[in-house]
Amino acid sequence: MPPAPPYLGEFEYAVLLAVLQVRDEAYAVPVREVIEERTGRPVARGALYTALERLEAKGCLRSRMGDPTPERGGRARRYFSVTPAGLRALRSTHAALNRLSEGLEAILERP
Amino acid sequence: MNELLSPPPLAERVLRATIRDAEWRDAVTGDLHEEFVDIARRNGKHAARRWYWRQALGLGARFAVARVVPRAAPRRWQVADADVQPAGGWSIGRDAVYAWRAISHRPGLSAAVVGTLALALAANATVFSLVDALYLRPFRFPGVDRIVLVSSALNNDPDADHSSVAPADFRDWQRESTTIDTLAASTFWDPNMSGVDEPEQVPGFLVTPAFFRVIAAEPLIGRTFLDAEGVPGQDRRVVLSHGLWARRFGSDPAVVGRTIRFDGEPYEVVGVMRPGIALPFGAEVWAPLAWPEDRWSDRTRGGLLVMGRLADGQSVDSARAEMAAIIERQRQTYPDTNARRGATVVSLTRGLADGFAAPLLAIWEAAALLLLVVACANIANLLLARGSERQQEFAVRMALGAGRWRIARQLIFEGAILAGMAVLVTVPLAIVGTGATRQGMPATIQRWVPGIDFITLDTAVLVATMALGAVATVFFACLPALQASRADAALALRDGGRTVIGASGRGWISKGLVVGQVALAVCLVVGAGLVANGLDRAVNGTPGFDRRHVMTAELRLDGRAYEQPEQRRQFVSAVLERLRGMPAVETLAAASSLPYTPASGEPILPEGVALTAAEVQVARVQRVTPAYFDALRIPLLEGRTFTDDDRADTTPVAVVSRSFAERYWPGRSALGRRFRTAQDGPWLEVIGVAGDVVQDLLMNRTVPSVYRAAAQAPTFSTAFVVRASGDPLDVRGELRRAIAAVDPELPVLHLRTMEAVIAERAGGATHLARVLTVMSGIALLLALMGIYSLMSYLASQRTQEFGVRMALGATRGQLVRLSLRHAAAVTTVGIGAGAVLASALNTVMASALFGLVSLDLPAILLMTTAIGAAMIVAGWLPAHRAADLEPTEALRLR
Repeated sequence: MPPAPPYLGEFEYAVLLAVLQVRDEAYAVPVREVIEERTGRPVARGALYTALERLEAKGCLRSRMGDPTPERGGRARRYFSVTPAGLRALRSTHAALNRLSEGLEAILERP
Repeated sequence: MNELLSPPPLAERVLRATIRDAEWRDAVTGDLHEEFVDIARRNGKHAARRWYWRQALGLGARFAVARVVPRAAPRRWQVADADVQPAGGWSIGRDAVYAWRAISHRPGLSAAVVGTLALALAANATVFSLVDALYLRPFRFPGVDRIVLVSSALNNDPDADHSSVAPADFRDWQRESTTIDTLAASTFWDPNMSGVDEPEQVPGFLVTPAFFRVIAAEPLIGRTFLDAEGVPGQDRRVVLSHGLWARRFGSDPAVVGRTIRFDGEPYEVVGVMRPGIALPFGAEVWAPLAWPEDRWSDRTRGGLLVMGRLADGQSVDSARAEMAAIIERQRQTYPDTNARRGATVVSLTRGLADGFAAPLLAIWEAAALLLLVVACANIANLLLARGSERQQEFAVRMALGAGRWRIARQLIFEGAILAGMAVLVTVPLAIVGTGATRQGMPATIQRWVPGIDFITLDTAVLVATMALGAVATVFFACLPALQASRADAALALRDGGRTVIGASGRGWISKGLVVGQVALAVCLVVGAGLVANGLDRAVNGTPGFDRRHVMTAELRLDGRAYEQPEQRRQFVSAVLERLRGMPAVETLAAASSLPYTPASGEPILPEGVALTAAEVQVARVQRVTPAYFDALRIPLLEGRTFTDDDRADTTPVAVVSRSFAERYWPGRSALGRRFRTAQDGPWLEVIGVAGDVVQDLLMNRTVPSVYRAAAQAPTFSTAFVVRASGDPLDVRGELRRAIAAVDPELPVLHLRTMEAVIAERAGGATHLARVLTVMSGIALLLALMGIYSLMSYLASQRTQEFGVRMALGATRGQLVRLSLRHAAAVTTVGIGAGAVLASALNTVMASALFGLVSLDLPAILLMTTAIGAAMIVAGWLPAHRAADLEPTEALRLR
């Protein structure tokens, strides 16, 4: 039996989802934009970097360095992608939240 | 188009320095660069730069913290996670992170704790820097611990000071001592420097040539004295201090070899001392002490200040033992002069310390420590209140298996972090505090306070402050920790964390702490009040003379021009003659010294009474011109004052104070009685009795004093006393011009009103009173804060109870009174305890500060009543707020 997937915090959950949304070109700048756009809440850069680093340490994300570009002052981007373990964690958290909200649709989905 | 747009390089460098991982470093700065370009395009370069700085500093701080502190689990699980022991045992980093979170969770409370502690620590740092600079290490040059001071005194002389060694004794010691390598003698020599624009009196010393070898001081330029220059005729040489050289000679190296006039004599400058050397006391110039041989064989009169350098392998103790033996031999050999003479050897640091400094510093130090205790009690209370808010958190953690020690440890950690932050805040406060203290030192006492330049925030002070901070942490963090570790998990959880401890145990601890605070604050306020009151009495009380409308000028008639008494007498009458008849001048006189300035004390030997050496009393002797009593409005009680007929060739006469007359001739008239001030001196006949006068600060008015006719014994130091018909400052110019007209070379040391003389003399004590007042003010403020927070806390704990009572018909007024009863009880007990402490303090301070402390019962009652009233108000505010809630609301709130 594979080890139980790690539980994700709310923000970590959001970051993983955002990385999936951005797909191939997922580095910090667009990830942050996606979260801010879709949740309507400001995201501190420091918090984002911390979350990215932590998710990578937990094995939910993997990263690779891209090529340096001049508009970045000659520095490379760090691209992130979700690992299978990350996917498992996402699914498990998602399922847990779904189970918790079962039967509450009337309240939760009220316009 | 973006070739010129790049973020501020310094901000980028700061940010990069904080990120450890190279890949992350590139990724983060790259991201920011990219966004920077974007923002610059949209909002302009300046906005983008500001944005970048904000981001860089914010991120930098975050990464910097991450470098130091290991990464923690997500915030939401901190409670459970904290108690899971990591594989390698517990980690300090983890504790630190949780502690930091708890602190940042309540920024207001944390700021109050840090602010309170920083204030108290700053007060302590300031006082400690004073103690360190003035008492522990007033001299800081290499080898200072090898220098000793040898002083000698008659057995029963209470006023013995350092300048007490007889010349012949010094010669004996120099020859016989083996524990002290080199001995040097010095004596005060404050010459009038002339021939360089404005004449000035310079503080200086005559020293035997070995002096600079004793203190191991190398000159900056030129040389010090040769042994051959310690003889008459060869001694017209001076070494200048670095300060004088810079101030008066523009740091010109060519001054060496130049000739300067001191007291009218030409002296050749042979060297300039390096900075920081002012031994023995604020010296700005040194010249060789070159007495003729017969003067060196004098054993009767002291007057030399003797310093020595310990031989290798010798200590102050061994030198003291050897000196005792030498003294014993001298007693045997010269019983006439040395029978009652003793000698002591002390380290330079101890020996030259100002006698007044030690009790003064002790009082300041005690006040500062009291303040720290009050602050700690306050902080403990704040943390206790928060501790009960956190009962539930602790209960959950203990239910999940956290040990008591684990929770206590976290609280102590929180305390340590708060203390660390407080120390950081202390630094700027202490810099301000030490600066203000240094500047606040009255100029008149600076010469006598070695080490005054060292009153700064240095490493020693910083270390001491940190140590105190650590002690304080233990003090205030342990109570809440103890309380938390005693919490009963099941009870706390069941009760929803409400009033578990607050209702019983914690209430007593808090109340006890507030009682202590109030007591200590009362103690400090009363202590400061005692000093302020005593000082006010000393300065503004009735001194027995009229200080108003009096202008004075002090000077010293030195040098060849005034060697003969007749020359000095002529100078005084010439100045008085010039002033006579000026319209603004009402009365004018001259005296050897003014009240509230140093005067010579001389032993009193009344005729026909055989006094043993131990019974001989010393009285203050002033030489005055006939109008002196008029000028200061000192009443004449009996007989007559001096006239112009009391001359050098007529019977020596004296006017004595009433207390003097009553001491020596009680119940009888003093007129016509005779006494003298030296065994071989002339008999002085008492011609008048004058009213008692306070002769000096802190001196009792009944201390006997003697006035002699100035014409019969003209002195070197001279003071003119001019009573003006109006504003004394109107005659200031006249006085200065009259002196300059008689001798333009003569510097006027002080030109001030009599009121200024007294105020300046009281400067040191005023300083003391000011510092104490500031400290007691802070303590009072803290105590008020303490009672306010206690009452707020108690009120919040009883909100529900209030709701029930209101629902049952209690009025708001009844509820307020109910809570106020607590405040009143705490205040009353606190003030009572404070009054007991304060009366003990009064006794201690009265003995340490001589006459300065004056017990004034109405004033103390007023102060304590004011404190009590303030306390009640501080307690009333939160009570009133709690009673103001609607009953329904109060019931719903927890």
